[in-house]
Amino acid sequence: MAKIMRKITDGILFAATWFFAAITLLVLLFIIAHIVINGVPYLEPRLFEFTFTSENVSMMPAIISTVFMVFLTLIIAVPLGIFTSIYLVEYVKKGNKFVMLIRSAAEMLAGIPSVVYGLFGMLMFGQFFGLGWSLAAGVLTLSIMILPVVIRTTEEALKSVGDGYREGGYALGSGKLRVVFRLVLPSAVPGIMAGVILAMGRIVGESAALIFTAGTVPQIPQTLGASARTLSVHMWALSGEGHHVGEAYATAVILLLIVLVINTAAAVIAKIFTAKGSGA
Amino acid sequence: MKKNFLKSVVMAVVLTAAAGIFSACGDDGGFVEGREINVISREDGSGTRGAFIDVMGIYVGGVDRTTVNAEIAPGTSHVLTNIAGDRYAIGYISLGSLNDTVRAINVGGVAATEANVRNGSYPLFRTFYLAVSDGISPLAQDFLDFMVSAEGQEIVERNYIPALESPSPFTGGGHEGTIVVAGSTSVAPLMERMREAYIALNPGVSIEIQSVGSGGGINAARDGMADIGMSSRDLREGELVYLNAIAVALDGLAVIVNNDNTATNLSPDQIHDIFVGEITRWNELD
Amino acid sequence: MNSTKPMHKFREIFFEYVFMFSAGISVLALVMIFVFLFANGMPAIAEIGLMEFIFGREWRPMDASPSFGVLPMIAASIYITLGAMVIGVPVGIFTAVFLAHMCPARLYVVLKPTVNLLAGIPSVVYGFFGIVIIVPFVREISLFFTGGGSGSSMLAAMILLGIMILPTIVNISESAIRAVPRSYYEGSLALGASHTRSVFSVVLPAAKSGVFASVILGVGRAVGETMAVVMVAGNQARMPESIFRGGRALTSNIVIEMGYAEGLHRDSLIATGIVLLVFIFIINIVFTVVTRKSAPSAD
Repeated sequence: MAKIMRKITDGILFAATWFFAAITLLVLLFIIAHIVINGVPYLEPRLFEFTFTSENVSMMPAIISTVFMVFLTLIIAVPLGIFTSIYLVEYVKKGNKFVMLIRSAAEMLAGIPSVVYGLFGMLMFGQFFGLGWSLAAGVLTLSIMILPVVIRTTEEALKSVGDGYREGGYALGSGKLRVVFRLVLPSAVPGIMAGVILAMGRIVGESAALIFTAGTVPQIPQTLGASARTLSVHMWALSGEGHHVGEAYATAVILLLIVLVINTAAAVIAKIFTAKGSGA
Repeated sequence: MKKNFLKSVVMAVVLTAAAGIFSACGDDGGFVEGREINVISREDGSGTRGAFIDVMGIYVGGVDRTTVNAEIAPGTSHVLTNIAGDRYAIGYISLGSLNDTVRAINVGGVAATEANVRNGSYPLFRTFYLAVSDGISPLAQDFLDFMVSAEGQEIVERNYIPALESPSPFTGGGHEGTIVVAGSTSVAPLMERMREAYIALNPGVSIEIQSVGSGGGINAARDGMADIGMSSRDLREGELVYLNAIAVALDGLAVIVNNDNTATNLSPDQIHDIFVGEITRWNELD
Repeated sequence: MNSTKPMHKFREIFFEYVFMFSAGISVLALVMIFVFLFANGMPAIAEIGLMEFIFGREWRPMDASPSFGVLPMIAASIYITLGAMVIGVPVGIFTAVFLAHMCPARLYVVLKPTVNLLAGIPSVVYGFFGIVIIVPFVREISLFFTGGGSGSSMLAAMILLGIMILPTIVNISESAIRAVPRSYYEGSLALGASHTRSVFSVVLPAAKSGVFASVILGVGRAVGETMAVVMVAGNQARMPESIFRGGRALTSNIVIEMGYAEGLHRDSLIATGIVLLVFIFIINIVFTVVTRKSAPSAD
């Protein structure tokens, strides 16, 4: 009797697993198909002209602003994140109070909703530092937002570098700095890259934090003080005014493409990483 | 063996369910009059809402009496999309944004058309204002002059109703620099066209347009974050202390329903009652 | 290479300070976020009254005598998050089990990248999908069951968020399940348990803290999500009535009204941000407790 019951629960669990996995796959494919089917017909050349006008509602300035935003944010956040992880992994002993503090701070930062980052960026960079709605305010806000992502992945990457590297370096008489920069960091590059790519994805997808900080101007920003809208904000703006639903879908297709490229890059790098890791 | 069977059963169930859901979405009968009215409003502070509640007498004695059950759509297109899909919904948008996915209802027997706004028979309209402080820069003043000139008002004419009867031709120009304009999302498309025309005349000028809502634009103009604020509602007394309001265009407001909805005409009183929640079902209208 | 000893030493120390300074930035940033939000939000809470603000049921910011009660938003945020969990957690965990232990290799190469793609899609895109597909779907269900409702509802937000948290739950649970030593599974098989039973009775319980951590991260994502929720939830600022009716989340309240707000209204929106921060803080503490418990088994 118990055996039959057991068989039945096994069957149910087995069926449930397949069922839920099938739901996941279906829902996901459905979302992607929906966007592609509705967006691709609107991908016209006028959407890629360099100046936005009310007629062409070009997304090109938004694409360029997105590139600026990603690039500038990474320039600030990546070195900061890497230096933080170097400090956490290479310089302080485990269990140090300061380390605990930094870790909890980074974890807390990772959990803060983007709309709160938007409020904070508006209050601190926009008003207190007088940057207004600008690329600079957006970049600074996003830098703080992605910092925990960079820290976490870099930390993992540094930790996974074998101690043999460090000991070998010291045995040859190198200073700590040299060991870190010449030996440890290079072997951690793939892991760090994976974190950077993750951060890129986060920047590309962000909208709530940028509306309050970088503003919504649909032109290519000429200076750091100029306002700019990224692709995600562009889509939000298009979906609000009511004239350009098709164009909003087309923007979604481009966003999807960007995410796809970013993910593929991450997968390729992860592959290199694991190949290297298992070799060592 | 048994597992493969189970797998195929599960797949079949999921696919049937998915198909069932889709066929359920495609629907059956038409408009049922006894159903509830789904009221769709805009967010507090939206110029469109401000104008609507002023004209309809919903804003009385400092209290916005819009029913708390009204759905809040954060933008014109959200109003349009929701109403296009919902037979029992009612909302309001700028006449300039009206398209054939929804239907505008006659107000007190008068059709919502530009001509009727112009001749004064259609009661639901608002004014687009530009809010500027006394310390406006010469460049921004020049842009302002352009917008209320014959050339500027001709641009208004394409989608809206000019605020000035017989504007004089534009005589300024020759400036360089940057102008920041911020405010109403409803005025922003018009401002975008103004920007294009003005920059064609003055290539050395760049104009930033921020769509931050009427209230946001008024605040920005007052605080100096923007040279010109765009507002799609009348400025309040407290705001007029700091700012001058210049009317640039008139815009009708359309009360819209789903294409399947059988209602064609509502009196202003009925619209009022629907939006304050005193009429809650479609069959209470007759 | 040929640098002299003191120069060398200086560089070492200089960089150690650079690293330490960088590490301090995270702490500084967090402090700044608290300082700026509290400095701008606390006076508003004081003026409104803490009790009035947290437990007030009326949100009428534009009236001549305004009221600022965020209880409706707190309630809606909690309901929507719970609903999203009810929908997303079982689907996510079962999918993770599937990916880790049952998925044929050929299906894995499709399913896994799809999940990752979904993780990267901007929330605006999800919101758009929600308006066009989920809202009409919920409208039909709601007409069928209650005879009314427009579809823009808490249920729509729950479904959408349930989907949005899937990648978080699936990916983290999957790695937790994969981290369970193979010997657990093999031992169970050796004792005569079936494949399914071994996975569910031995492997999954061993991974439970990792799975739980993924759920908490999902909660965090759901509480913090803004754009997608604004687009589908109806946003009525009143106490939630039913899942077929709308509600306004805390995040939505900020993003809907910030553009228009000034004075006390604006500060009360920043105070709404403080409430959100407190929520996240609590979630973080739970997360830390859970992951700390799991630390011995993870190592």
